[in-house]
Amino acid sequence: MEEKIQVQAQPAAEDTPLDKNVRMMSPTQMLLRRFFRSKLSILGLVMVIGLFVFSFLGPVVYTRWGETELDKSGKTKYALSTTEYTVDGVTYTLHQTTETVLVDNFLSAPSAEHPLGTDDQGYDVLARLMYGGRTSLLVSFMTVFLLTIFGVIIGGLAGFFGGWIDNIVMRVCDVLICLPGIPILLILSTAMDGWVDLGMMEESWRIYLLMAFLTLISWPGTARLVRGQILSLREQEFMVAAEAMGYSTFRKVFKHLVPNVMPQLIVQMSLSLGSMILYEATLSYLNMGIKAPYTAWGSMIQIITTNSDILQNHLYVWVPAGVCIVIAVLGFNFVGDGLRDALDPKGRR
Amino acid sequence: MADKTVLNTTPYDDAAEQQKFLERRKKQMEEDFAKPFDPDCVLEVRHLRKTFPIKKTMMGKVTKELVAVDDISFKLKAGETLGIVGESGCGKTTAGRAILKLHQPTAGQIIFNGQDITHLKSRQMRSIRKQMQIIFQDPYSSLPPRSTVGGILSEPVQVHKIVPKNQTKQYVLELMERCGLRDYYYERYPHEFSGGQRQRICIARALAVNPKLIICDEPVSALDVSIQAQIINLLKQLQRDMNLAYVFISHDLSVVKFISDKIGVMYLGSMMEFGTKEDIFRNPLHPYTKALFSAVPNPDPTAKMERIKLEGDIPSPANPPKGCRFHTRCPYAKEVCKHVPPEYKQYEEGHFAACHLLDE
Amino acid sequence: MSEKKGYLTNREIRAIAKANAKQIKRLEAYKNRKAEESEFLTQMKDDSNILEIEDLHTYFFTEQGVVKAVNGVSYDVPKNKVVGVVGESGCGKSVTSMSVMRLIQGPAGQIVEGAMRFKAYDYQRDAKGNPVCDGDGKPVMEEKIYDIAKMPINEIHRIRGKQVAMIFQEPMTSLNPVFTIGEQLDEVTLLHVPNATKQMAKEKSEEMLRLVGIIPENVYSSFPHELSGGMRQRVMIAMALAAEPRLIIADEPTTALDVTIQAQILDLLQDIKTKIDGSILLITHDLGVIAEMADYVVVMYAGKVIEKGTVLEIFQDPKHPYTIGLQKSKPTMTLDDSTELYNIPGNVPNPVNMPQHCYFKERCAKCTAKCSGQYPGMVQVSPTHFVACHLYDGEEKHG
Repeated sequence: MEEKIQVQAQPAAEDTPLDKNVRMMSPTQMLLRRFFRSKLSILGLVMVIGLFVFSFLGPVVYTRWGETELDKSGKTKYALSTTEYTVDGVTYTLHQTTETVLVDNFLSAPSAEHPLGTDDQGYDVLARLMYGGRTSLLVSFMTVFLLTIFGVIIGGLAGFFGGWIDNIVMRVCDVLICLPGIPILLILSTAMDGWVDLGMMEESWRIYLLMAFLTLISWPGTARLVRGQILSLREQEFMVAAEAMGYSTFRKVFKHLVPNVMPQLIVQMSLSLGSMILYEATLSYLNMGIKAPYTAWGSMIQIITTNSDILQNHLYVWVPAGVCIVIAVLGFNFVGDGLRDALDPKGRR
Repeated sequence: MADKTVLNTTPYDDAAEQQKFLERRKKQMEEDFAKPFDPDCVLEVRHLRKTFPIKKTMMGKVTKELVAVDDISFKLKAGETLGIVGESGCGKTTAGRAILKLHQPTAGQIIFNGQDITHLKSRQMRSIRKQMQIIFQDPYSSLPPRSTVGGILSEPVQVHKIVPKNQTKQYVLELMERCGLRDYYYERYPHEFSGGQRQRICIARALAVNPKLIICDEPVSALDVSIQAQIINLLKQLQRDMNLAYVFISHDLSVVKFISDKIGVMYLGSMMEFGTKEDIFRNPLHPYTKALFSAVPNPDPTAKMERIKLEGDIPSPANPPKGCRFHTRCPYAKEVCKHVPPEYKQYEEGHFAACHLLDE
Repeated sequence: MSEKKGYLTNREIRAIAKANAKQIKRLEAYKNRKAEESEFLTQMKDDSNILEIEDLHTYFFTEQGVVKAVNGVSYDVPKNKVVGVVGESGCGKSVTSMSVMRLIQGPAGQIVEGAMRFKAYDYQRDAKGNPVCDGDGKPVMEEKIYDIAKMPINEIHRIRGKQVAMIFQEPMTSLNPVFTIGEQLDEVTLLHVPNATKQMAKEKSEEMLRLVGIIPENVYSSFPHELSGGMRQRVMIAMALAAEPRLIIADEPTTALDVTIQAQILDLLQDIKTKIDGSILLITHDLGVIAEMADYVVVMYAGKVIEKGTVLEIFQDPKHPYTIGLQKSKPTMTLDDSTELYNIPGNVPNPVNMPQHCYFKERCAKCTAKCSGQYPGMVQVSPTHFVACHLYDGEEKHG
């Protein structure tokens, strides 16, 4: 008996040299290879990394101006005026040049001192662009991170338990999705103005409250995605096996189901990063977001609403911020699409 | 029209016959439920029934249901294999899962290891789960895709604290060796393996918790012939070594014959015939069993045997025929078969069948 | 680290991708070229055959390397015979048949070399490639031998569906769910029979349904989801027959069906075999099905034919250790089950980076020193029986 078992088990356990010839790609290699096959995802990655380096390492290198540092070098403004008077029937024309010396060097054209000029307050545009980038990227990252955690927990529980829990969560999602985001943000922002005036909150909190609110209205998308995925994964045999093993519910949901939703989540996260940047820009543009002395890319474009002269004649003040927003949104979307193609097992060629 | 006239001339009243049948069965059930548990058996299933709702009213009241498993009973001792054979839709998979309480049975009793587990809550079930395991047909979807083999096998060991934590890896490696897996597979992912190796991983996972009973749900159907033989031999060998009891579900009669001690033949949720392997193969009683035997293609080109031909298709389990469920396809069906459900009776010692033709 | 775990290195991956791109470009250009008919006309080696596959190589250029799914396969399908191809998953039996239909999914999958000579019954064509008509305006038909491997892909409609029809494994997914059975059947006739009217097509469809044992009135206007698996497979067979093909390729036609339904379909195929004037290429992993249906058997392993012969030769006098092992490892109804089941150790190889020697060597119980040398050539052990194994090197018999 014992001998027989030996004979049986031996050859089956033997890894044939033919198998040894077959060398596969590791999961990471396979993912990277699929991701980098598309030129667009490489472009997207370059764009995103470029912006990060620019925003977070830029100020380390470019230390000439700080975020809230005004150029106090002053600016001399010359004004020419012509006055005519008539004295004893003789008309005199008086040409007068007024020289005004201002404290702040505002709206100065790009120069060696200010590579992208200064804005209407006298802040250095390049430095503001870097610090604004920090704010914009940070806001969108934090928001996406928060809403993903929220969405995963709520969607995961709804999907796994089903029944009335699922019903309630999904109806709440429906309601939240129905809420018009922008008008409510406008109301909230106006309310915040009031709170700041009343001294109930600091101006610098505004960014965190905005983030919290964006999270609150955006999690249903993620929750729905997670729920849908879990509903289909729950029927898979490896989940039945987990059930048969007698694992606890917590383990089943967060150790077995959620890791399998990760690919879709990562894609969703990178795509919503782009939309969060746009949200932030919209709010700031409407003067409801980040306010001076702090800045964000949207706020930098908002300057044009104060003075139409800037829109026409001082392009250096607002165009760079616009370009950054476009690059960021495109970059995140390209990366998201690339990841989707790389992670989707059905799209395999 | 023609049907109606036929119906009118029959001496049978379908509703009354059904009623009589149900009453008889109810009495039988009450009698059987009162019997003491057989101490020799690892698993005893009494009148197991599982239905799924297919139509509900607005208030959630079930108006139509699908009877997936209808009244099956059997006993299984340690070290024995029960083979369940049947075609698609016969409820064999549902039966397997209902035994493990992955589906809550609608009626009946499941006695595992001398304990009635039918009505245990899922929390109470958790400690019993490690004694009963399942192996699936599809080795591709039954392994979590994002864990390594080592992770898959260590998890149950850690959760159920089978061995002290620092010995887990050693234990898993021994388990892998026993199932014919090389030690360096430990770090690899399931997708890197072929079907046969994956099925070995599934077996190793089931064995990790030292079960007494394993439900094998078509474990070799998706595998190649040469690999099939390896897995069957592995299962047999593990059974001898560990005194395991198997419920082996398959549509392939030749495989079931090879591995089983007892065989149950199912059709549309009902047990048609049950007996030891020798009885069933020597003397198949039910026409369906006979037809199944003769339908298996014979890999000998010279032996052109006469087939019992079954006409038509398997009826939908949502709408099973009246009377004997098999009568629509039975070549020997009589008038009584169309109206009266046959009784599941013992014809030889330990050899049961449900067919009117046997009563003559 | 990745080296140790048996993974490819990044450099190797890049090298593979570069080599693949080059090959794929060349083969795609060849596949999509425009060609005169004379370029792919050829002659049969043996006139009694309907299809001759010779030294066919179909490769998949994957990121992990070149998978030689079909690696020098040769077999013939004689007229009015059933040829069974048997082998385990990944042995290339389906890829061979897909190559005959030119259904290999590009750009990764490509027919690299070889010949597939098919005796077609097609329109006579003039120099411009238009069908020649006789006095009554009916096209003149003639027998032509096409080399399918050389045909450009846009000429393949001459044979696909019309001369060669295919029955697939999955009857659930092979029918379009939004059209009725009748519409799908009529379409075949309308597409392949010149000047066919709707009425003609319907009559033809009903005739075909009757041929496969279905009462047309019940099924003609049903949708696929209303039919059971067995019925759908019958419809698939009717569809394959509708264009009166010379060759039917049945790729695992009964694998997805229940045993009793499988028995019905096998009976039907037996019946049809005698009724139609054509050959059947039956691909399956089930030796029982082969034994019941086939006249000739081809056994494949890892992209190569290892043994071929008549059904009696293969089942009663198998030569190759793999064929022998395959037959012994299948549990049968008559087998004594007190002993261990015979099994072939090891796994079915993944055909990447194949060695020079016999692919079965590692799993073979009878391997000798010679087996480490060259891959064995085909040895003829009887007029119809060939085997690729070193054990029979001396037993060459001709004639």
